[in-house]
Amino acid sequence: MERKCHAILMACSLLITFFLLVVTPAVAEPLKISVLTDMSGPYAGITAANVEAAKMAIADFGGKVLGEPIEFIYRDHMCKPDVANQKAKELYEKEQVDVIFDCPNSAAGLAVANQAKIHKKPFIAIGSGTTRLSGPDCNRYTFKWAYNDYMLATAVGLWAAENLGKKWYTITADYAWGHDLLHHFSEALKAKGGTLLGNEMVALGTSDFSPYILKAMNANPEVLVLLNAGKDAVNSTKQAMEFGLKKKVKIVHALLFIEDIKASGDIFADDYVTGAWYWKSDNPGSKEFVEKWKKQFNKPPNWMNAATYSAVTQYLQAVERAKTKDALPVIKALEGHEFRDLLANPGKIRAEDHMEIGNAYILKAKNPSEIKEDWDFFEIVGVIPPDKAYQDPKETGCKMDTTE
Amino acid sequence: MNLQFVLMQLFNGLILGSLYVLLALGLSIIFGMLGIINFAHGAFFMLGAYAAYTITSYVIPNFWLALISVPVLMAIFGAFCEMLLFRRLYDLPPLYIMLLTFGLMLVLQDAVRLLFGSMGVPFGTPKSLTGMINLGFMYYPSYRIFLIAVTSLTAAAVWLFLTRTRLGCIIRAGTDNPRMLQALGINISKTMTLVVGMGTGLAGLAGVLAAPIQNVRPLMGMDLLVDCFVVVVIGGMGSLGGSVVGGLIVGQIIAIGVMVWPPMANTLIYLFMAAFLLIRPRGLFGREAFHE
Repeated sequence: MERKCHAILMACSLLITFFLLVVTPAVAEPLKISVLTDMSGPYAGITAANVEAAKMAIADFGGKVLGEPIEFIYRDHMCKPDVANQKAKELYEKEQVDVIFDCPNSAAGLAVANQAKIHKKPFIAIGSGTTRLSGPDCNRYTFKWAYNDYMLATAVGLWAAENLGKKWYTITADYAWGHDLLHHFSEALKAKGGTLLGNEMVALGTSDFSPYILKAMNANPEVLVLLNAGKDAVNSTKQAMEFGLKKKVKIVHALLFIEDIKASGDIFADDYVTGAWYWKSDNPGSKEFVEKWKKQFNKPPNWMNAATYSAVTQYLQAVERAKTKDALPVIKALEGHEFRDLLANPGKIRAEDHMEIGNAYILKAKNPSEIKEDWDFFEIVGVIPPDKAYQDPKETGCKMDTTE
Repeated sequence: MNLQFVLMQLFNGLILGSLYVLLALGLSIIFGMLGIINFAHGAFFMLGAYAAYTITSYVIPNFWLALISVPVLMAIFGAFCEMLLFRRLYDLPPLYIMLLTFGLMLVLQDAVRLLFGSMGVPFGTPKSLTGMINLGFMYYPSYRIFLIAVTSLTAAAVWLFLTRTRLGCIIRAGTDNPRMLQALGINISKTMTLVVGMGTGLAGLAGVLAAPIQNVRPLMGMDLLVDCFVVVVIGGMGSLGGSVVGGLIVGQIIAIGVMVWPPMANTLIYLFMAAFLLIRPRGLFGREAFHE
């Protein structure tokens, strides 16, 4: 009898110890969210505010999840892949964060995705656009939110081939991102039966685009596609205007934010680009978010900021559904989840490749005379549904490893 | 590739070359007189562009006013930098002053970033210079023609000033041997202030002229600065004629490179510089004295 009692006591104490060691800490330790983004490099003007968007999402969620306050930290990777890799390692190991958000720059995004896989903690990529994150390099712990290069190129590509003209000329930034976009743009054009009259590969950071503009003029296209971003987009557009090309053709961009337009005046007027969201959107919660943002920063958010807000909110809701902050249950709660929020209406997180998909918007930059309100630079001229804007998950090349 | 395209591209090379000439002239006279490599020169160029933006959008929306006032303001700014900062380090090894100018560059860039944001600011072509001019054999943007005219006039004026006036004579003598000049009883410290002011003013002018073609960004000077060092090295350290010829050569190399093999266009100038230095280590018009 005594021995039986002992055995039961032993079992109980073991159970309690186990409970204390394993289960309790998971509940008692607060959830720690982190944003890793570019705050001082070339994309800082667009992405630095993602930190604020994440903070706002946490505050709007009530600052608490599963009864514990949410901790938040952020790191600057200066747009350098090696720094991103090291910071991600630090965040997962030293800071013990539960999740990393954002990470612009595709090479940086891939590095962080690898760290996520090693540490078995989620990474929700927003800023990095490479299709590899939800393609050949996909993994169980990495999600891609709001857009990718395929969507940027295909949405406006299909729309432009149908509405602007079928004779195109492209000027491409000569690095992986540009090449990737060129591939997707040409596919979209081919699908609509158009012809690519010519392409120019231009070194990154070229300040004089005039020779390429001249070549494009000689080819006499209907649409000029500029596959570049930031200062390259500004310089090439400015020079297309200077040489009078802008009067003859429609210009389509790969990536353009409201901040770009604010920084360069009317040179982008009448140009087209794909966007994942626009601040005039009437998706649920969008108006409130914009209102709050404007009050705090005196300007509306760009779509990267909105995407960050959406991703953080969806992650927190998944934690609530999973009733734990442990990686795998949260990932399972995210997989296949359908929702409507400020960014995606409707939105879905595909289980096959971990791509969060929603509508893609075709944005047309307004003429200065049409701009009635400061920062209201775009007009939504078309909406491409998710199944057209994103690649079929069977074709992305993603082989999701579902072993646990 | 037709003839018109080639001609147009050569003109584009001239534009790029003109900007290099303005910047390299300033770098060169400062190097000659003070014996320092001014890393802040690109930042001065950027500051000129931002000054032009500030004047045209907040004071009086007039490009011409900016074109005249910015070089003057920048010259005053440069003179102050010399009097307050550079001067204190003349007696120390040259490395110190190089570090100072490097730090100054970082401070100016980040100050502009704080004030105006990292995205840059808009700057349009002045209304009276938009459109194209028919040159007989081709159409060319009028602003670019104007840019070539202004830089040639400025380069000529600087040339005349340095070769035909007494002050210019002192500066040239100072580039050769500052100590001897001092021994002859000439106030060299005032001349140094003037030289730095002049160099900064030229960088500011280049900034105003470049603003309508490129965009105005905090890092716009960085891109040009490295190319300008190539110009100065090819032209010969401290040689004024060398800056002019070197600037035009580098502009054309980039322009021709873009026509023939675009991916290599920006690398070509470094290859050219390396090859050129093997044949002529002191550059085009450099004096041997600098390479002791």
